[in-house]
Amino acid sequence: MATLTEDDLRLFVDAVKHYLKATSGQEPEITSAFLGDANVTGHEFNGIVSFMGGYSGQILVSMPQGMLRELLVLQHERNFTESNLLDAVGEVANTLAGNARKVFGPELDISVPTRLRGAQGITARVRERPYVITFRWNRHPALVCVDLERR
Amino acid sequence: MKLLIVDDSNLIRTRIASVVEATQMKGISIVGLARNGREAVRIARVSRPDVVTMDLTMPEMDGVETIRELMRMPDPPNILVVSALNDKSTAITALRMGARGFINKPFTDDELRLALLDVCNPN
Repeated sequence: MATLTEDDLRLFVDAVKHYLKATSGQEPEITSAFLGDANVTGHEFNGIVSFMGGYSGQILVSMPQGMLRELLVLQHERNFTESNLLDAVGEVANTLAGNARKVFGPELDISVPTRLRGAQGITARVRERPYVITFRWNRHPALVCVDLERR
Repeated sequence: MKLLIVDDSNLIRTRIASVVEATQMKGISIVGLARNGREAVRIARVSRPDVVTMDLTMPEMDGVETIRELMRMPDPPNILVVSALNDKSTAITALRMGARGFINKPFTDDELRLALLDVCNPN
């Protein structure tokens, strides 16, 4: 297994910025990017997409309820049920993972998203040394955890 | 013109529908919303859509397999792929299979509207 490069990780930072800019017109502020440990604490709603093929691992997107509600409003959605909030965070994870194929190519095979509710939801999912990108959008803190290795 | 929207995300299905309805795209009526390829094929056989927006990464039957099935129908629909998979080979594969257009997620309302208009009026 080989770890990701700084350029690989910049791809995910740029993807987060692009996603929020395209869907809300407002870029997030990236507040930190660091090599974390297995004790990543997330927010209430979590979307996870697994990588297969030439890579293994996953990308996890963790957002609070208030942020997801605002994103839904901006996308013409008025249904704020738990199911729809989980669907929304799963779609963010799906989009960030799919966008990574521009750099990693079609050998980066991605799963359909899994959704989890609960701030501890991602802690059990990450391996020992994930990359963590934290950001703030419209006052709301959120994070993306990239846990990806080349085979 | 009849439109079928196919995506496993309710958010995306609703968003595409609302863009079509909010902008009153002339002559387009939504005949179905499908959560995966199997639902899409079932609805398409009954409703015979003219245009389909198609996600690629879906459970049960993915978008590539669904395009293949839809293109076997008599008078197959014009298909706009709406996907987060943004590598060139995925787009080329979808177009070779018969899709008429490709738009990446995330998209703005204007990007979606323009892409839909292109696919609805291929000439």
